[in-house]
Amino acid sequence: MSKKKYAIVLDDSKCIDCKACTLACKMENNVPTGLYNYRIWVAEKPVRGHFPNIKRSFQPSQCQQCENPPCVHVCPTKASYQTEDGVVLVDHDKCILCKYCMTACPYDARYESSNVHAIDKCTFCYHRLPEGREPACVETCPPKVRVFGDLNDPNSEVSKLLVEHETFTLKPEKGTKPKLYYIR
Amino acid sequence: MSLSKAKLSRRKFLTLSGAALATATAASSLSSLKAVASSGTHSATTNSKGRKFVYSSCAICVNKCGLVAEVNNGVIRKLNPNPHFFKSRAMLCARGNAGAKVPYDPDRLKKPLIRVGERGEGKFKEVSWEEAYNYIAENVLKVIKKYENRSAIGFASTEGFQEEFFIHLANIVGSTNTVRHPTLCLASNIQGYSSVYGTYPDADILNADFVVMAGSNRAEAIITPDTIDMAKNHKKQTLVCIDPRATKTSAIADKWYPIKPGTDLALVLTMINIIISENLYDKEFVEKYTHGFAELAEHVKQYTAEWAEKECEIPASEIYWLAREFAKNAPQSVWYPGRRSSFYANDVYYRRACAILNAIVGAFDRKGGLVPKRGIKLKKHDFEFPLYDFTKKRLDAGALPFLDEKLPEEFKASAGLPTDSCAYISEKDGSWIVYRDAALAGNPYPLKGMFIYKQNPVESVPNRKKTVEFLKQMDFVCTIDVTMSDTAFYSDVVLPESTYLERWDPAESLGGIVPIVVTRQPVIDPLFDTKSMHQITVDLAKKFYDMPEFWEDSTEEDREYLKKYIKAVDVPMEHLVEESLSGYPGAFKMLMEKGVFYLNDKPVYGNLLKEGTRLKTRTGKIELYNVKYAERGLDPLPVYRKPSQGKPGQFRFVVGRHGQFTHASTQNNIYLLESYGDYENALWINSKVALERGLRAGDKVKVVSKAGEQIVKVMPTEFIRPDIVYYVHGFGRLSKGLSLVYNKGASEAAILYDYVETISGNACLHETFVDIQKV
Repeated sequence: MSKKKYAIVLDDSKCIDCKACTLACKMENNVPTGLYNYRIWVAEKPVRGHFPNIKRSFQPSQCQQCENPPCVHVCPTKASYQTEDGVVLVDHDKCILCKYCMTACPYDARYESSNVHAIDKCTFCYHRLPEGREPACVETCPPKVRVFGDLNDPNSEVSKLLVEHETFTLKPEKGTKPKLYYIR
Repeated sequence: MSLSKAKLSRRKFLTLSGAALATATAASSLSSLKAVASSGTHSATTNSKGRKFVYSSCAICVNKCGLVAEVNNGVIRKLNPNPHFFKSRAMLCARGNAGAKVPYDPDRLKKPLIRVGERGEGKFKEVSWEEAYNYIAENVLKVIKKYENRSAIGFASTEGFQEEFFIHLANIVGSTNTVRHPTLCLASNIQGYSSVYGTYPDADILNADFVVMAGSNRAEAIITPDTIDMAKNHKKQTLVCIDPRATKTSAIADKWYPIKPGTDLALVLTMINIIISENLYDKEFVEKYTHGFAELAEHVKQYTAEWAEKECEIPASEIYWLAREFAKNAPQSVWYPGRRSSFYANDVYYRRACAILNAIVGAFDRKGGLVPKRGIKLKKHDFEFPLYDFTKKRLDAGALPFLDEKLPEEFKASAGLPTDSCAYISEKDGSWIVYRDAALAGNPYPLKGMFIYKQNPVESVPNRKKTVEFLKQMDFVCTIDVTMSDTAFYSDVVLPESTYLERWDPAESLGGIVPIVVTRQPVIDPLFDTKSMHQITVDLAKKFYDMPEFWEDSTEEDREYLKKYIKAVDVPMEHLVEESLSGYPGAFKMLMEKGVFYLNDKPVYGNLLKEGTRLKTRTGKIELYNVKYAERGLDPLPVYRKPSQGKPGQFRFVVGRHGQFTHASTQNNIYLLESYGDYENALWINSKVALERGLRAGDKVKVVSKAGEQIVKVMPTEFIRPDIVYYVHGFGRLSKGLSLVYNKGASEAAILYDYVETISGNACLHETFVDIQKV
């Protein structure tokens, strides 16, 4: 029975901004070169303090795989859609490059791909999941910042992490209900 | 000039034994092996669609992380981490991932090239391998005859699985002048730690409770498993980062001290003093395993926290805290040994002090401390290469009149450093800077030919102008590489090597706290007319064998021995891999099925602390006081001396690593360049200083040092001390064959000054002062 509900829990305190995730994603998903073409990224949080009292920290991010995805709601051709297990995908053939979805996305998670001539973004590596493989970013991450799994399975690693840790989501005020949870 | 049988006595080759990481095999045992090897296929699962997964290992940096290549119809789709490969903790970094595009790089060398224009003009013609080999063989012979010296041909390389064949080539040519990377990297580190422990240990980061990273930026200079263990464990363990820059390591550290550059030794000696005077050291350990504690205790009394506060610009209260916590957590305490350690002219003494600090708290060869590496012994056969009359001893060893010029002013007199010869350079590795200066001076003899493999001295050795001169004064330069490096650009012949994803590599034992064996098998067929170093050595060996003139200073017996060598080595690499593992039943199978071979995946502690075990030091103990150093007139205990100072208004230029780049070799990879975030590098300068000097982000400045000048854009930042500047390595390149970084940004080698740490022969990468002028 139970439908799956995929999510990623991130402990970004472990992130060293090595960009393995960004590159693994580019390779796995045929993301074209270009400084602004990526499905996932690592941002440096604003520096706190002044030399020598400063703090650096990083935040890896990507499409939030919202439960309530504005990109899907605004798409005029239904190119952006949500699967039964809640993953938001783009049907490249239906995309007319109108970019409504890019405007609607509060996380700036989409880019225009010259390789597929469509708007593209993270798919949780949906093509890998039937083979029992994890998303490429999760698999490759050196300190394993990301953990991927099914929230509907109480024994999954993600479910356990959400119980054990206090987490937050990005821009909760937008009402998008992201499925990327950051450990506080 | 003819090579008329010289009456010189035969010289034993310095590079002969143990030169190769030897996996090669004797001819006699091969026939049976061939049968075994050809009876099965070793590549991994293939399905009907032509999709297959192949185990191999990464070669973008030194770590050799395990990978599983996903290949579709002969094209690499993706490189994934190998989950069995525990040394790399089942990950692949950005560089490892970007490796998938390396074979398809449009800038790759595709055919052998011979220079047609002036050296450095960049004009080459494509030739066949046969033409290239003939050209090489003729020129090698010409140099040997002209100078009556086989050592007049030098060999420069850096580590890699195929390097052993390059060293074989040096032996076949008959030169003692092999120069490798350690003196641009960790030679002083190895010398410093070995002078205390008789070995260069690893750090057990996985089990350490207290880790100090001083000048070591493990978050960006990725070393497996240390980087990953550190990032994963940072909430459980205390991590202290000591660095004049707030690197990405400082982001996960509990504390960051922006120490005054060059004063680390003052800090460590003071910590030793605090730990001894407050009785926080491990008395039992010190008594049982160390030599010279009383002398040490007396020596360090002068180094107080209040004094160190002024030297290091770290508050005395923090130094007390650091010393006490370090001792409290011992033996799960680590002063991390680091890698690229060639910072200052007194680097060996600094490393000695670090090793001593760990020793007095008993954090050696115990869980969570410094732990000696172990290895897995592979079957090896040392070849007895020909002995020639015209071979001379290394040009960078022994007394050299110019050596004291290689020391910064403050270290020339009475600094406990040798001023006439390097005290302990490795016979195989040499000292890059001394080697180059000796060649430029023609002293003790001319060095007029050069083979360079997998190394780019033009961008990796400080003082680029000199390296270019060094190449220009050669009669003959042959470079073997996968792209047109700056060094290849200044060569006469360029041989294209197959990339690591297109060839077999020998099995290699990776020493560590938990040792493993790894190899490479081809993931795809070679895309272009390229060959492995293994094949190039075999081909050239055949060429030399066939040239009677090449043997005029040798015997027929020696020549015949080369034939045996060729027969033994000219076999498919997988046979050599299998043979080298033949001491372990099932090892080859495991290597093919899991991409890694190991005997045990658990660490072993205390091997060197067993009753009756002698360390490889003169006294057989941990030498806090080094007996050999005392005999040689070096400081037996580390003595602090103030670092050199620049003139008012000058900055010390510091170097550092970046998580996307391996030295100067990956900047031309578009994926890595873009994930670095810019197409050129930028000068880090403290925001306040930038403001004072009217410099804003993006302004161009000229950075001027004693070695040269570069123009680079400015990046004001809070992440750096006001008295230093920094930019990332590997930009502003000379080779037009590196289309993305040619003439973009600033080169580091062009401005770094070429001082030498004269105990180990290491380059001093932090002894350069620069002026900054707005352009």
